[in-house]
Amino acid sequence: MSQAPPVGAPEAQAPPAKVRPGSKPGRTGTNPLLLLLPALALILGIFAYPLAESMWRSVSDPQLGTQNYEWFFGSSGNLAILGRTLWIALLSMLICLALAYPYAYLMVIAGPKARAALIVIVLIPFWTSLMIRSFAWIVLLQDSGLVNSFLGIIGLGPYNLIRNTTGVLIGMVQVLLPFMVLPLYSVMSGVDMRLVQAAQSLGARPAVAFLRVFVPLSMPGVVSGCLLVFIQALGFYITPALLGSPSEMLISQYIYMQVNQQLQWGRGGTLGVVLLVATLILLGVLGLMMRRSRRLLGDRGKLL
Amino acid sequence: MLSLNLPRRGRSVRLALLGAGSAVLLAACGGGGPAEIDLGEGPAKAGTVKAGALDGVNLTFVSYGGIYQDGQMAAAGTPFAEESGAKILQDGPTEYAKIKAQVDSNNVTWDVVDTDSNWAAGQCGKLLQKLDYSIIDKSKVTEGLASDCYVPAMQYASVVVANTEKFGDSVKTWKDFFDTEKYPGKRGVQSGDIGGGILEGALIADGVAPDELYPLDVDRALKKLETIRDSIVYWTTGAQAQQMLESGEIDMGVVWSGRAYGAVENGAPYAPAWETGVVVMDVLTVPTNAKNPKASMAFINYYLGQKQQEKLTEETSYSPIHVDAKPQVNAEGQKFLLTNPEVADKVLTSDFTWWGENYAETLEKFTAWVSG
Repeated sequence: MSQAPPVGAPEAQAPPAKVRPGSKPGRTGTNPLLLLLPALALILGIFAYPLAESMWRSVSDPQLGTQNYEWFFGSSGNLAILGRTLWIALLSMLICLALAYPYAYLMVIAGPKARAALIVIVLIPFWTSLMIRSFAWIVLLQDSGLVNSFLGIIGLGPYNLIRNTTGVLIGMVQVLLPFMVLPLYSVMSGVDMRLVQAAQSLGARPAVAFLRVFVPLSMPGVVSGCLLVFIQALGFYITPALLGSPSEMLISQYIYMQVNQQLQWGRGGTLGVVLLVATLILLGVLGLMMRRSRRLLGDRGKLL
Repeated sequence: MLSLNLPRRGRSVRLALLGAGSAVLLAACGGGGPAEIDLGEGPAKAGTVKAGALDGVNLTFVSYGGIYQDGQMAAAGTPFAEESGAKILQDGPTEYAKIKAQVDSNNVTWDVVDTDSNWAAGQCGKLLQKLDYSIIDKSKVTEGLASDCYVPAMQYASVVVANTEKFGDSVKTWKDFFDTEKYPGKRGVQSGDIGGGILEGALIADGVAPDELYPLDVDRALKKLETIRDSIVYWTTGAQAQQMLESGEIDMGVVWSGRAYGAVENGAPYAPAWETGVVVMDVLTVPTNAKNPKASMAFINYYLGQKQQEKLTEETSYSPIHVDAKPQVNAEGQKFLLTNPEVADKVLTSDFTWWGENYAETLEKFTAWVSG
């Protein structure tokens, strides 16, 4: 995205395609694309085939027809579960963004030692098993847990922090935060801070310089972080299963239930297909919005 | 390592080829079916197996893991392997989807599977095959618990337990469980699976006579449950229920008696109210197209013996299903045994046949209610 030519630049002036530094012009006889075959086979075998199988099941199990889709769209409960899943994913994404943005910014402006410490703080939980972290949250958040005991000492609570949406969000945000912090940091650390200084030297207040120069330049990180978090959040299973409540079931738990308890594999496939399509639609919408906002930012860039 | 391995590898390849060749020959001669098994003459007797009858046979036993499966192995699996010569492999936990996948793909690797009775009742002749009662002796199994496709593996109850520090021992009936004014507090209820327990309880609390429960009026039960919806905390696994009891997260709960006993043993202040107990059970089943049904049946027959059932109870605190079983259990454990007359007089046995026929539909309604 950051490499896109400025909007409005005439095509004729576009520089000729550059030879990428590091790539060798010489040919070696075999087509390098062949090297992709193992990866392609892997993707076909463990992703495309099962996906096709699930899709096929959704229209063929127990009989050929659309009965599974009728079942899904015929029940408001099912739509509520889909809506809840999207909503929780969106909330997780926004909370992650709100927490990660200042954190990543801190990483950029911190000195080397402090930065190393900040990176370690993000990475250590990232390398710890999801299961262990979710169980740890149960211990911390339950009514008689550490958090509520502490709140009790300072005269608050007890609050219901698990087996509800609060618990799910706390757990999911903690698990997903690194996926927001790391892309943000990688983009922010590439932002040329002299541009912010230049804006200030031209009379912008620091806050204005930050908002109008730094924030737009960090947008690629925001977008990739949000996408990573949102899409992962849609399929979360373990954390909501442990920290949430069946009365606020998410779609992954519902799929598990249809497949494993009810043995309704067609319905499981249908739920998967619906989730996939809903995700693709959202991504499409997001992509369109990005393109438009990029254009707007481009114009503003020209004004600045 | 490498230099040692090289000549060996050559030999092992040759050996493997030889082996493969002879296997092909053997298969051609023997027709590829399971080996003929001779289980001996005369009628079957529970708890016995002909010595060495299953030499060289592999049998995969699948259950729910933890102390339960360990207890099953100690009580039946290991001695059966020693006496019959079979090799018992273990797998778990039981997942219905895996049984379906194995049966659908005609590659059944599970031989004897411990499942929920309601599910098994609904899968008889579908994913589960009929048992051969010329090999299995069910004469000492508690009346009414064995069926065409399963025998009980043990019994337990979905029972109300209440915090004794908060309520003393005043919680006695299903009416008390549903009385949030007299007994305010959180109630743990199972979700994700259903059968024998909360729906029966809701109907009894709503005034249905215990002997007129079946067929269950599920809608009426859910309407009664609606009155305590805000007090319910859901658990989905036994371990979760026990954790909720031990941490004091719930003041009352409908939990499995074995898990309640586990929590009480660990010092949690709860007492069971047996008037609310609904007897349920796990069962042993054999998947359709299991590779060696005869060996599976022999294992099940051995499992049903008196000695085995006593040991199982002593190891797991679940109740035996052999009518003569007299397990040696301490006083606290006795309070949780369904064979204890004081308990047996109060509990209610759920109608496995009704559940078998209506399990899927009821689960769906209940789930819709839970998530609604």
